[in-house]
Amino acid sequence: MGTASKVLRIVAIAIYMVWLIIPIAWTLSLSFKPYLEWRSPHFWPKDPTLLNYKILFFYEREIAGTTGGTALTKPMITPLINTLIVVGISTIIAVIIGFFTAYGASRYNSPGPFSLYFTLLTRMVPPATFVTPVLVYYRTLGLLDTQLGLILLYAAATVTYSIWILKGFIDQIPREWEEAAILEGLSPFRAMMKVTLPLIKSSLLVSGLFIFLMNYSEFLFALVLTTKEAVTLPVHLTTYVGGSGALYGAQAACGIVASIIPLIIGYVIQKHLITGLTFGMVRA
Amino acid sequence: MTETSLIVENLRKTFRTTVAVEDVTFEVRRGEFFSLLGPSGCGKTTTLRCIAGLEKPDKGRIIIGGKDVTNLPPQMRNVGLVFQEYAVFPHMTVYENIAFGLEVKKFPKGEIHKRVLRMAELLNLEEYLNIRAGRLAQALMQRVALARSIVVEPEILLLDEPLTLVDAKIKELMRRELRRYQKELGITILHVTHDQLEAMMVSDRIGVMCQGKILQIGTPIEIYDKPDSIFVARFIGSPTMNLIEGRLEQHNDELFLDADDARIPLYGVPSEKSKLNSYIGKIVVLGVRPEDIEISTQPMKGYFTGKIALIESIGNKLEIIVELNSITLYALSPPRTDLKVGQSIHLKLRPMKVHIFDKTTEKNIMLEEV
Repeated sequence: MGTASKVLRIVAIAIYMVWLIIPIAWTLSLSFKPYLEWRSPHFWPKDPTLLNYKILFFYEREIAGTTGGTALTKPMITPLINTLIVVGISTIIAVIIGFFTAYGASRYNSPGPFSLYFTLLTRMVPPATFVTPVLVYYRTLGLLDTQLGLILLYAAATVTYSIWILKGFIDQIPREWEEAAILEGLSPFRAMMKVTLPLIKSSLLVSGLFIFLMNYSEFLFALVLTTKEAVTLPVHLTTYVGGSGALYGAQAACGIVASIIPLIIGYVIQKHLITGLTFGMVRA
Repeated sequence: MTETSLIVENLRKTFRTTVAVEDVTFEVRRGEFFSLLGPSGCGKTTTLRCIAGLEKPDKGRIIIGGKDVTNLPPQMRNVGLVFQEYAVFPHMTVYENIAFGLEVKKFPKGEIHKRVLRMAELLNLEEYLNIRAGRLAQALMQRVALARSIVVEPEILLLDEPLTLVDAKIKELMRRELRRYQKELGITILHVTHDQLEAMMVSDRIGVMCQGKILQIGTPIEIYDKPDSIFVARFIGSPTMNLIEGRLEQHNDELFLDADDARIPLYGVPSEKSKLNSYIGKIVVLGVRPEDIEISTQPMKGYFTGKIALIESIGNKLEIIVELNSITLYALSPPRTDLKVGQSIHLKLRPMKVHIFDKTTEKNIMLEEV
C-alpha cells in the first residue's frame, strides 16, 4: 500500500510535469526552426536557425523569402521596456497599497457596512465589462496609449490580490509583537514598520511575484488601450504576422525571451517563495 | 518620589455587552511584587492591558508613578510588559531584542551596549546574544522578554502569565529567579496569573479576582489563612479546602454543624470575638483545609468518627478521603501504615483554622468583628 501509493504519486507528478513541459519545449524548438519547418511535426529542427531571434531585435527588417512572404516587424525592445516599467511600477504600487490596506483590515474594525469584501467586487465581474467604460474614461483623461494609464489600471485591478494574500499573512502575526514594541516607546505606525513589515517580507515578495506575473501577461486591456507608444509584450507578440500568416518562429522566440524575466525573478526570490507560502520562518 | 507606583481606581471595561472588568481598585507600592490572581476570564488580563494602555477603560483612573496616565497612549506610560506568548521579536537576535527599547529611546550606542551586556549577564543570557530570538526555547524567550522590559527601567513591569507555557520543571526555577531579579533590581512588578501556587510563591501581595472584581487583597499568608469569602477559600490551596454546608447548632455550650445526616463538632472554635453566635440555627458553610484536620485511630474528646473511603499517597503525604454518611472530607496526614480503606477513623478540626461562611453573602463570618 505504502509503496504503491508512492509509485502512483510519482507517476502522477511525472504526467503533470510532462503536461507542463511539452508546450514550453515545443515553443523552444519552434523558435529555432526555419520557416519551412514551422508547420512540420518533428521536434528537433533539421536546419536550426537564429533568424527568429534576429527578427525580434532589428527594426522593420524585411524578411521576404526566408519567411515565405514579406513581413514588416518592429523589434521587441520598446514593448519590453514598456512592460517592465508598467508591470514593475504597478506591482510595487499594488503591493504597497495592499500591505497598508491589509494591515488596517487585520488590526482594526472597519466602520459601518464597509468591509474588505467590497474589494472583491472588482473581481466578480468579467474584465471585458470594464473595457468600454475604461476606454471612454481614458480618452477623456488623455491616458490612452500611455504607460501611466496602464500602470493605474493594473495597480487598481491587482491590489485586491495583494490585499487578500497579505491579510492572511498579517492575521497570523500576533498583535503582541506590535504591542510589545509600542510599550517600548514606538508609535503604532513605527511598530508596524519595525516589527510587522520585516516579518512579512517574504510574503510581500511572493504576492509581488504573483501580481507581477498576472500583469506581465495581461492582454485584453493592453490591446484596447495601447496602440503604438505604450504597447506591452503580449500585444506586441501578436504583431509578428507576415503576408502568409502568423510568424510562428518569431512568436515562439518572443515568448522564450519574454519568459526569461519572470524566470530570473522567480529564481532570485526562490528562498522566499517557500517561506512566503508556508509562513514557516516566523516562528522557527 | 511617591511610595505607590501604581494606583488603579474604579476601573471598568466592557466589550460590547460583556463586562470584563466591573470595578477594580488597588494599588501597588514601589518595589513590590503584586499578583492579580484569578481563574481565566475573570478580567485580570484586561485590567493589565488597561494599565498598559492597550485597552481604553470605560471608567476609572490609572495613576503610574504619581501621574494620571488614563488618557495617555501606551508608549508614553513608562511601563514594561511581558506577554504569555510571542514575547520576543523572533526576527531579531537576543541582543537586538534587549537593545530594542533603548534604541527607540535614542540612548547613545555605548550606553546601549553597556546596559545590554549587564542585563544579559544578570539574566544569564550572554551565550545567546547573537542567536535569533525566535529559535530559543520558551523559557529563554521569556527571560529575553524580561531583560528587554527591565533594561529600560520602567516605573512598573507588567507580567501577563509569563510562565504559563514554560515546562513545569523550569517553571519552578524561573519563579525563584523572577523573585530574585525583582528583589535585586528593586523593580515594581504587577503580575497576572491563574496559578495560585505561582502567585503564592512570588508575590508580596496578591489580589484575588473573580468576575471582574477584586475579592481580597493581602499577603499570600493572609489570603491563605484568612480567606474572606468562599471563592477565595476554594481557589487558594491545593488540595482544595473542605467546604460543607449545614446548620450551625449549639448544644451544651458546644457548637456543631448539622449537615443532613452528619454532625461535625466545632470543638473549641472561638465564637466570642466574631458574630458566630448570631448565626446559631442558620445555614452556614464550614471551611477547613485538609491539613487542618487531625486524625486518630483512637476515639478522643472532641473527635468525630468517619470511615476511610480512599487513601492516596502523594509522596510525602497521604491524602485520606473520609466519609461521614453523605459528606466527604479530605484530610492530609504524614505517611503512616496503620490506615486501611473501610476502617473507622476519628477526626478533629483545628479550632483556630476553622472558617465559617455566611451561606448567602459567602463572606467569612470568623473575620467579621462584633
